[in-house]
Amino acid sequence: MSADGPRRFKTATAGRALLALAVTALFLFPVYWLFVMSIKTPEEVFATPPVWWPAEISLENFAVLFRDGDVRAIWNSAIVAGVSTVIAMFLGTIAAYSIARYRTGGDHLAIWIISQRMIPPIAIVFPIFLAFALIGLNDTYLGLIALYTAFNLPYVIWMMRGYVEDVPLELEESALVDGLDRWQTLLKVVFPMMRTGLFATSVFTFIFAWNEFIFALILTRTEVITFPVQVSHYFGPQQIFWAKIGAMSVLGTLPVFFTVAMAQKLLVRGISMGAVKG
Amino acid sequence: MARLAVQGLRKSYGKVEALKGVDLDIAEGEFCVFVGPSGCGKSTLLRSIAGLEEIDSGTIAIDGNVVNTLRPRDRNIAMVFQNYALYPYLSVFENIAFGLRARKVPDAEIRSRVANAAEMLGIEALLERMPRQLSGGQRQRVAIGRAVVRDALLFLFDEPLSNLDAQLRDGMRAEIKRLHQEIGKTTIYVTHDQIEAMTLADRIVLLRDGIIEQQGAPLDLFERPATRFVAGFLGSPQMNFVATHLDYVDGALTLIFDEGRRLPLDPARAAAFDKYRSRDVILGVRPEHIARANGGAPRKPADAPLNALIDLVQPTGTRTYAQFRLNETEITVELPSHTVERPGTTIELLFDMSRVILIDPQTQHVIPG
Amino acid sequence: MSAVAEAPIPPQPASPIAGFVDRNFRWLLVWPSILVLLLIGLFPVIYSLFVSFQKINRRVTDTSFQGFYNYERLVTDERFWDSVINTGIMTGIALPLELVLGLLLARLFLEPFPGRQILIALIVTPSVIAPFVAGAMWRLMFDNIFGPINEIIRWIVGGNFDLLWLINDNPLIVYSAILTTEVWQWTPFMFLILLAAWSNVDKSQLEAAEIDGASGWRVFRRIIFPAIRPVVFVALTIRGLDLVRLFDIVYALTRGGPGNMTETISIYAYIKGFERFDISMTAAFAFVVIVSLSILVMVVLRRVGVTQ
Repeated sequence: MSADGPRRFKTATAGRALLALAVTALFLFPVYWLFVMSIKTPEEVFATPPVWWPAEISLENFAVLFRDGDVRAIWNSAIVAGVSTVIAMFLGTIAAYSIARYRTGGDHLAIWIISQRMIPPIAIVFPIFLAFALIGLNDTYLGLIALYTAFNLPYVIWMMRGYVEDVPLELEESALVDGLDRWQTLLKVVFPMMRTGLFATSVFTFIFAWNEFIFALILTRTEVITFPVQVSHYFGPQQIFWAKIGAMSVLGTLPVFFTVAMAQKLLVRGISMGAVKG
Repeated sequence: MARLAVQGLRKSYGKVEALKGVDLDIAEGEFCVFVGPSGCGKSTLLRSIAGLEEIDSGTIAIDGNVVNTLRPRDRNIAMVFQNYALYPYLSVFENIAFGLRARKVPDAEIRSRVANAAEMLGIEALLERMPRQLSGGQRQRVAIGRAVVRDALLFLFDEPLSNLDAQLRDGMRAEIKRLHQEIGKTTIYVTHDQIEAMTLADRIVLLRDGIIEQQGAPLDLFERPATRFVAGFLGSPQMNFVATHLDYVDGALTLIFDEGRRLPLDPARAAAFDKYRSRDVILGVRPEHIARANGGAPRKPADAPLNALIDLVQPTGTRTYAQFRLNETEITVELPSHTVERPGTTIELLFDMSRVILIDPQTQHVIPG
Repeated sequence: MSAVAEAPIPPQPASPIAGFVDRNFRWLLVWPSILVLLLIGLFPVIYSLFVSFQKINRRVTDTSFQGFYNYERLVTDERFWDSVINTGIMTGIALPLELVLGLLLARLFLEPFPGRQILIALIVTPSVIAPFVAGAMWRLMFDNIFGPINEIIRWIVGGNFDLLWLINDNPLIVYSAILTTEVWQWTPFMFLILLAAWSNVDKSQLEAAEIDGASGWRVFRRIIFPAIRPVVFVALTIRGLDLVRLFDIVYALTRGGPGNMTETISIYAYIKGFERFDISMTAAFAFVVIVSLSILVMVVLRRVGVTQ
């Protein structure tokens, strides 16, 4: 028995590791399939039965996207998601500070703000489309940025509220006594104390905006098409351009992978909206 | 250096009144300690002076300038916080220099002033470190350094030693006192620890439920408490309180206890207590003012020993604390070591009747005399 | 600087502007956000309410008061109720499935093994991919010519197998395709939250239960689940509200088809508004959705307790 114990333990661990590996592979398989699609040659793309391993890596599908100017969608996504993230982070964080520190507006304001997050986009996008049409904001950076800013504000406020509460009040009071005014205290003491929170929240805010589909589908036409909408354009009525879908998806997903990899340790608190403190 | 004058200060949080009208004058260079149990309003009072709390009514004046509506930064005060409040992302040097930078003091002057402060506190070697690399005591020194480096009118300390272990606390306490003697700035210090209050203060302000219960020099408060609360708050172990009855026995005012035990009052003080004859009073006596009768102490004629069946003995090394029951109350007695060895023995005790106090049970005020 | 020590600066009042900022600081900080939210959040609601009592569509623009005409059309529209039922079915199946699979995955990854951190990082991938791209990915997976799923089934059954997953008139098949995609994308999200909560469960309680000889299932039901319940509730709330407005994946996979078999509330509203241009009815639609969801959200938020 006693000699058997450690070995059984090891076998169990190895078994779990193998099972975990298999499950992970299963979850990643569709990602692999789309990725492989993006590096197949035209012959391989249309081969039946499908080719599981491409014979060689072809970057032709990506080259086509650059040639046709379709990559502009990535650029558009970057501008819209980037700018709206910066604005939402700034406005949301100062509001979160006020709500967390001074209980501004009490529970009512907090509930109202978070409930804004939960309104389905489809229910508000229609009036906004008409309003934007009236003031010429459809298919402009400004329109989409404004919308994404508003759309992400509740999330930013909700998340940053938790991070503000983690900053010891004494640090602020000490700064106030030492000669800073409230605004300087916020910028020079509270913001640096929340560096990780600001970083994690911006990562998720950025991803939400980057991945967003309904608003972009309805409020853009040609000028500021974002990458998911560009992908949707490859589903033609007669034909589906799988190679382009693959290549465009890879281009649009890589930045997300990159940012998430940077925010690895902060992932849980970010996606659970603070329900589990990471 | 500055004078501080507080008048009619009131502050409430919703329905809870934290300060119910506080009047206070602190002289230039004075070391004033606010002390009291938690929730007594001492921290609120300090924070109101700092400008961290908005007050409801009353005035706070520094050197005659009313500062009620001024922001903390405009009051020119320095404050040391309980949890040190060091900025974790700044070096020790930058932490100390923080207030100077905020006030746009020239670089060269910052360097010399920080160096001075660091030398005064013995932390020159730590200036390049980050706060997380410091021990609790070192952090506290940095926090104090950040206050002394500033040319402030008032120094405020908010329970600065409560997070340190007992040994470190004794050392830092002495150092704070020395620092005050060197710099001589008006200082307000908040603590819940009566020993800190006694040892540090020029003047103790004892607060209770949002009002000042009594203020004065430490020994004044200790020896002449105005109320039962003050008498019980200062001193360790605590003063004993026994409900008893006062009446004439054989022509002398005497405290009458159970089992026929009696204590005649000091004839020199008796006249003052005459109007309480035939009434219930509370006797207050400190453990160190009771001694063993047959311990060889010279007997004055007025001394009447009291029989005590010892039921608990706690030796501490230097002294031994023993307890006995009197009128259903456990009384603690401080005796020299080896005076009593084990519980169950009955001994005779002498009360120093010149130092006991009598308290009116209705008002809880100490009866003067 | 003179060598003589100067007197400290006496208290000095701030400038009027600085004083104003200081006194109203907390409101100055929240107002920008409130304004933005009012503009984007409240305006559409009021607008929808307004237009829903008019009669504006592709052919007529009648801004006179029409009473509850559009609401009547909505509640008597079978396709509307179909979309509500479809959304309910998808939510009702996907939500428990994601929870159970998430729990099983969390159990698998709970104890350390070599490579655990890397696998956790990899398995979360689906949840950070754009939902529309996830839909596109699985449309390729299910494709009867280019997709590997039919190919795999062919290997297993060893014959000719050519199933049209996404345009099949058998709802069971279409739904399993959509639900596979949905569950694939969001189970990792569930998993990550549950794993974090599970790891935080007090170890001493588990050890005590182990000493008492409690079985694994009993320990889970009596100790672990009660401990992680608040987090489970939050996770279900987030996912539930996402599922109720399900759009991207369905749009990529079937666009609600075949017919309106997989049409969700969001898809139908999209069709009404942007393909039919039935403005007034879409407005009534939007208003009903906002109001009913707001009530749901309020109830849920009160239960979660916002201040926690």
